[in-house]
Amino acid sequence: MNRSGGAPSIGRAILRLALAVVVAYAGLGAGLAWWQVFEAQRLTDDPGNPLVLAASRSAPRGRILDAAGRVLARSVKADDGTMRREYPAPAAAPVVGYKSLLFGASGIERAYDGALLGLSQLTPADQLLRKFRPDPYDPQDVTLSIDLRLQTRAMRLLGDRHGAVVAIEPATGRVLALASTPTFDPARIADPAGGRAYFEELQKQPDESSPLINRATQGRYTPGSIFKIVTAVAGLGSGAISPETKYEEQPEEERTGFLVQGYRIRDGHHEFTGDTPLALAGAVENSCNIWFARAGLEIGGPTLVEWAARMGFGDSIPFELPTAGSAVSGGGDEPGGFRDRVELASAAFGQGRTFVTPLQMALVAATVANDGTLMKPRLVDAVGTGGGARRIGDEQWRRVLAPDDAGVIKAAMQDAVEGRFGRLFAGGAKVPGVPTAGKSGTAELGGEGEPHSWFIGFAPVDQPRIAVAVLVERAGFGREAAVPLAGDVMEYWLDLER
Amino acid sequence: MRAVPGIHPRWRRRELSLLLAAAGGLFLGWVSLASTQAGRLTAGDPTLLIVYLALLFGVHGAFVLAGRRTDQVLLPTVGVLGGLSLLLMARLPQGLASQSFGSLELGLAPLQLLWLGLAVVLLGGLGIAVRNDYWLRYYKYSWAAAGIGLLLLVFFLGEEVNGQRLSLRLGPISGQPSELLKVILVVFLAGYLADNRALIAGSSTRLGPLRLPPLPYLLPMLAMWGLALSIVVVQKDLGAALLFFSVFLAVLYIATSRASLVVLGVLLFLVGAAALYQLFPHVRDRVDIWLDPFAQAQDRGFQIVRALYAFGRGGVLGTGLGAGLPQVGGSLAIPAIHTDFVFAALAEELGMAGALAILALYLVLAQRGLRIAVLAADDFRSLLAAGLTTVIVIQAAIIMAGNLKLVPLTGITLPFISYGGSSLLANAIIVGFLIALSDQGVEPLEAPRPGRRERLAAGARSVSDRIERVVS
Repeated sequence: MNRSGGAPSIGRAILRLALAVVVAYAGLGAGLAWWQVFEAQRLTDDPGNPLVLAASRSAPRGRILDAAGRVLARSVKADDGTMRREYPAPAAAPVVGYKSLLFGASGIERAYDGALLGLSQLTPADQLLRKFRPDPYDPQDVTLSIDLRLQTRAMRLLGDRHGAVVAIEPATGRVLALASTPTFDPARIADPAGGRAYFEELQKQPDESSPLINRATQGRYTPGSIFKIVTAVAGLGSGAISPETKYEEQPEEERTGFLVQGYRIRDGHHEFTGDTPLALAGAVENSCNIWFARAGLEIGGPTLVEWAARMGFGDSIPFELPTAGSAVSGGGDEPGGFRDRVELASAAFGQGRTFVTPLQMALVAATVANDGTLMKPRLVDAVGTGGGARRIGDEQWRRVLAPDDAGVIKAAMQDAVEGRFGRLFAGGAKVPGVPTAGKSGTAELGGEGEPHSWFIGFAPVDQPRIAVAVLVERAGFGREAAVPLAGDVMEYWLDLER
Repeated sequence: MRAVPGIHPRWRRRELSLLLAAAGGLFLGWVSLASTQAGRLTAGDPTLLIVYLALLFGVHGAFVLAGRRTDQVLLPTVGVLGGLSLLLMARLPQGLASQSFGSLELGLAPLQLLWLGLAVVLLGGLGIAVRNDYWLRYYKYSWAAAGIGLLLLVFFLGEEVNGQRLSLRLGPISGQPSELLKVILVVFLAGYLADNRALIAGSSTRLGPLRLPPLPYLLPMLAMWGLALSIVVVQKDLGAALLFFSVFLAVLYIATSRASLVVLGVLLFLVGAAALYQLFPHVRDRVDIWLDPFAQAQDRGFQIVRALYAFGRGGVLGTGLGAGLPQVGGSLAIPAIHTDFVFAALAEELGMAGALAILALYLVLAQRGLRIAVLAADDFRSLLAAGLTTVIVIQAAIIMAGNLKLVPLTGITLPFISYGGSSLLANAIIVGFLIALSDQGVEPLEAPRPGRRERLAAGARSVSDRIERVVS
C-alpha cells in the first residue's frame, strides 16, 4: 500500500532495534547473575538483612566449636519455644562474642551470623534438595582455629589486669588464642531476664575499661621497643641497613644523647655495651634506642611506613573480627606522614606517635618466624557440619622479607631472649629446653603512671609453632609482666603439642 | 464493518497447546505454593487460578470462533505472565489492597484476578473486533490532543500519593492515566511518522558533526522532550518520563533509520537529566540512593536494599513459591512489593532461573510484536506494532533494571505482573492491538466509509476533523 518511496526500510531498523532489545535484556540477565550468584553470599550474610533478624528469633543456631571440637556456644530450646544461646566457655568471649535478640551480636557470632543461622548460600544442588524439606534454615557449625585450653590459659594469666594476648601459628596464620581483658560473660548478655541490666552496665564503662572493646584487635597502643623489629624489617628489606651496620657515634651518644633538630634523644644502655659500636644483632639484644633512631633516619620515613604496610600497618587487617588499623606516624608534612625528624627517629624505636594493635604485632612476630612470609590471619577453620563442612585453607597474605633477612632478625631476637645481655630483659620468656626468640618492650606514655608492658616472640626458633604478642596495660617494664606471661603461654602450648 | 455472514471457526492448535502447557505449569506452581504454606501436599483452594485459566481458554475459544488468522503465541505468553502475577498476589498479605463491592470485600488476589479477567477479556475483544485502523491513523492529532488533555487533567486534578501526582479519581475508581497515555502516544507517533518519515529521513541540516532533519521536523522531538520533562517536574514521575522518551526515540529510529536522531535524543536526555538533578531534590534523591543504597540502608535506601537482599536470598534456583520471606515480623520486607518490586519478589522465590524465564517471556513478546511489525501491510501498521511492542519491552526493562540497581529506581509497573488495574488494562489494549494487527487477511482500509457506528460518533468526529485540519 503506501510504502513511501525513498524512505529507509522499516524492516531493517526493526531488526536493529531487536538487537538492542536483546543486548539490554542480556544486561538484565547479567544483573541477575551479579546479585543472585556473585553477591548472593554477602547479601545473605549481611547483618542488616531483616531475614537474619527474623530467623534468629525462631530458628536453631549452629554451634561454635574450638579446633578440637569443644563447644564454645550452642543453642537450646527454652520452655517457651524460643531459642536460648548458651556459652559453656566464657574464656572464649573475646573471640566468640555474644548473640542477643535485644543487642545484636559481636565477634564470630556476628561475622558468621548468616552461616550460624543457616541462611547462607547453598550450592544449586543443595538448594534443589532444600525445596523438599519443610525447614527453611540450615544452621551450620563454625569451627575455630582457637584452642580452648590455650585460650583459657591466656585469659587466666591476664587475670584482673587489662591487656591482650594473641597467639598465631606462623606457618598457617591460624590464630590459636586471642585473649582480651577485662572481659564479659556472653551468657549473661544473652539471658532474656537479666541481659538488659548487665549489658547497660557494660556499656556504661568508658572506653579505657570497657569489656566490650576487644583490646587484641581494636586496642591501639604505643609499642615501645617491640617496634624495633619493624624497623629492622624495613631496614634489611629495603637494603638501607645491613646486619653489619654500625654507628661510630653511638657509644658516645649513649652518654650525651643523639641530637636531632635540636632535640636530644637519650638512652642509658652503655653500662652493658661499653665503647664498642653495636651491629644490628647487638642493637636488638640490648634494645639500643640510639642505634635504631639513627637507623630510622637512614631508612627514611616513606620506606619505614611502606615496609610496615607490607605487614598490615596503615589499614584495618582483613580478619573475621573488626580490627583497628595500626599507624607508624601521627600525620604531618614530612615524607611518610611524620611531623619532623625527631618523630621519625623516635618512631624507629617505638616512641613516636606510633600506635599498634596486639594483633598487628603478632603478625610482625609471625612474619619473622615464618621466614619472611606473612600468612593471612584467621580464626575459622571450617564452616558446616561433619563431612559436609567447608574447610578454610591457609592463605599466603604477603611475601614481606627474603628468608636470609628474616634469618638475621630471627637470630637477633633469639639473642634478645637468650643472649648474655638480652636475658636481663627478656630471659623470662625462654621456654625451657626450646630455643626461643623475642623482643620485649616498655611503652613510655609520658606523664605519670606505669608504662605498658609488651613482648612479641616465637618458639622454637627453627620452624616455630607459635608466635605471640602480649600486652599488659600499665604494668611496668616488659620483663615485669608481658615477658613471663608470654613465656608461660608458649611453654604451655609446646607442652600441649608435644 | 462487514456483516457477519456466519461463523467460520478456525482451529488454533499452537495457541491451544501453549495454553495447555501454561495451565499445567501454573497449576503446578499453585500446588507448590499451597503445599509450602500448608506444610503438606495439597492444592489448597485453586478457585482463583481455575477462574483465571477458564477465562484464558474462553478467549481462546472466542478466537477460534472468530476465525481470524491472528498470532497464536501472544495470548499464552501474556497468560503465563498474568498467572505468575496471580500466584504472587495469592501469596502476599491480602491486606495490601482491598475494595468493597457492597457487602463483598475483596483482598489483593481476588482484586488482581478481577483486573486480570477484565484485561484478558479486553485483549480478546480487541483481538477479535479491531479490523479497521482508520479511526487510529486518520485522527492522530485528535488522539494527541486527547492525550495532552488527559495529561493536563492529571497535572491539575491528580491526586498526590507519596509525593507523586499520578492518579486521577473518578468517583470510586482511580486510575493512572499515564498508562493509557503511552498507548495514545504510540498511536500518534505512528500516524505522524508514517506520513512524514520520508521527509524526516531524507533532508538534512548540519549541526556540528550531526546531520539532522530540517528544524520544523525536529519540533516534535523537542515537544516530546518538553513533555517528558514536564511529567518529571509536575508529576514527579521519573519512570513514565523515561518510558515515553525512550519509546519515542525507538519509534523515531524505526521510522527514519537515523542514528543521529537517537544520538541527539540521548544528548537531550542527558542535558535534561543533569538539569533535573541540579534543580529537583526528588531527582537527586533517587540518583543518590541508586549510587549507594547501603549508605542509607535504614532510611531512604531501605526499599532497594531490601530488594537486593531478596535477590541474594533467591540464589540460582530460588527458595520455592511461598518460601520466600516477603513479610518479616508483621511488616513488609520490601515496601511496594506488589507493584514496584514484583520482580524482586519473584526472583527470590523462583531464583535466577525463574527470573531469566520472566526475561525470556518478555523477549517472546518482543519477538512476536516486532515480527508483526515487519510483516505488517503498511508503514502505519508497522510503526504502530513496533511502537506498542517497545512500550511493553522497555517498560519491563526499566523497572526490572531499577529492581536490580542497574538504573535509578522509578515507580512504574512490570507489565502483566504488577498489581493494578490501569497498567493491566493499558497493556491488554496493547497486546489486543498487536493480535489484531497480526491478521494476515487484512481488509482494505483506504477510505473512511460511512457506517452505523461511524454515524453514531458523527458529533465527536466533526470536532475531531476540525482539529485535524487545523493542525495539519
